[in-house]
Amino acid sequence: MREVYAIGSAMTSFSRLEYPLSEIAAYPAMFAMQDAGISKIDHLYVANMGGGRVNGQTGLASAVVDSLSLTPAGAETIENGPASGASALKQGWMAVASGLHDVVMVIGAERMREVNNLEATDFVATLTHPLAEYIYGVTLPSLAGMFTRLYMEKYGVTARHLAMVAVKNHGNACLNPFAHLHQPITVEGIIDSPEAMTNNPFVADPLRFFDCCPVSDGGACVILASAETAKKLGKPMIRLAGVGQATDTHCVHERAEPTDLLAVRGAARQAFKMAGVKPSDVDVAELHDAFTILEIVESEEVGFFKKGEGHLALERGDTALTGKLPINTSGGLKGKGHPVGATGVGQAHEIILQLRGDAGKRQVKNAKIGFTCNFGGFGNNVVCLTFIREK
Amino acid sequence: MALEIYAYQCKKCGQLHYPYRMVCKKCGKNKHNEFDPVPLPKKGKLVTFTELYTLPGDFAVATLWLGIVQLENGVAVTGQLRLPKPKIGMNVIGQVEPVRKSEFGQNLGMVFYPAK
Ligand SMILES: [Zn+2]
Repeated sequence: MREVYAIGSAMTSFSRLEYPLSEIAAYPAMFAMQDAGISKIDHLYVANMGGGRVNGQTGLASAVVDSLSLTPAGAETIENGPASGASALKQGWMAVASGLHDVVMVIGAERMREVNNLEATDFVATLTHPLAEYIYGVTLPSLAGMFTRLYMEKYGVTARHLAMVAVKNHGNACLNPFAHLHQPITVEGIIDSPEAMTNNPFVADPLRFFDCCPVSDGGACVILASAETAKKLGKPMIRLAGVGQATDTHCVHERAEPTDLLAVRGAARQAFKMAGVKPSDVDVAELHDAFTILEIVESEEVGFFKKGEGHLALERGDTALTGKLPINTSGGLKGKGHPVGATGVGQAHEIILQLRGDAGKRQVKNAKIGFTCNFGGFGNNVVCLTFIREK
Repeated sequence: MALEIYAYQCKKCGQLHYPYRMVCKKCGKNKHNEFDPVPLPKKGKLVTFTELYTLPGDFAVATLWLGIVQLENGVAVTGQLRLPKPKIGMNVIGQVEPVRKSEFGQNLGMVFYPAK
């Protein structure tokens, strides 16, 4: 198989965007082409979860390829829930690695705020099992709440640890002009203060408002190409060196050990193995913190820390911007935002900036190896990616 | 007759499944119709729970208590809770009741109460 490089990258702000889904997809695509310095694209993959249901737009890739005047290039919409973005990157990687295409554009786009928050939550809840979960009122926050309670009981994670993730990621988001939230917060303010119960109410006990990511619109685009094409462009050589994916039971209640996220573990193992690196080699990572607990648990399951010790690494400051292994320098889903189908591509964009040395105020020094974890459903379909800067 | 929800037992190896699936998760050998429906037992232990404050539109209550319960025969299910003081590991007893009403009708599901 051929090696695959990220030659162009861009994103819209993740926030509330007042233009159509197809344009949310097309803007970052134009900027990524400009970034790469190319105008010819062989194929497009467009990651999106809710176009058909939320925006009344099916066949999004067909709309976008034409809007960008890239016809007759092939184009496909990729739906894999909140892991659609990394799934589309994996498809792009396969297309270039196999030799089928030379330059592939991978876009992620979502417009969730066209509907109100309740409808958006209900749309995401359709990821759950229709008869054994959804009918009860189960939503993603409720699954995360039940998971958090068990994790607290078993491993001693506290509401304070969760708040520390939020504080860290809000802080990082403040350094990212493209992030949804530019709102510095403190543990005292959201946990200890007399106002905490009003400014940080419960969403799915023990998870509170500041443990949950915002509902965002947004788009991101990464262009992948062969080594030959990448070299001609004279940009830093950022290789998509490892792709991994694994699945788990649809219903959370069917898992033998409900505090394990086996799909995260499996996907990460593959992504590291293919890249020929170890978790301890990673300089910077973007993990899927749709809920604060997930950053802690994913940091264990991907192999950065021992099971049950992610919260201790957080306490020590290991995952802070200045720590040994900065996690979610972009602000993560918590601070940067979570336009579901775009999230995986947005994570890759942050890693590409970091490995290029273009991450501005949130730059991790000498970052050479980056990692992303994009988490679909409640951990039933997970895609991990490893990126390596070659020179 | 009391309302029942069924687990599905593989005719080849005896593995119980809830919810229904097309292929046995243990032996993988059966065809789609080779499962026997077995009524879910009602007694179990609470594995975990949450009180959900942001509810889908179909629910006309302020908050909803949800949990996962491990039933006597080892099958785990998700359900609604009517427990005054839920606690991990407590004994509960289930009943099949309407759990969601929408313009399309109502769904029946498991609702758990404290075991006496
Ligand atoms: Zn079987």
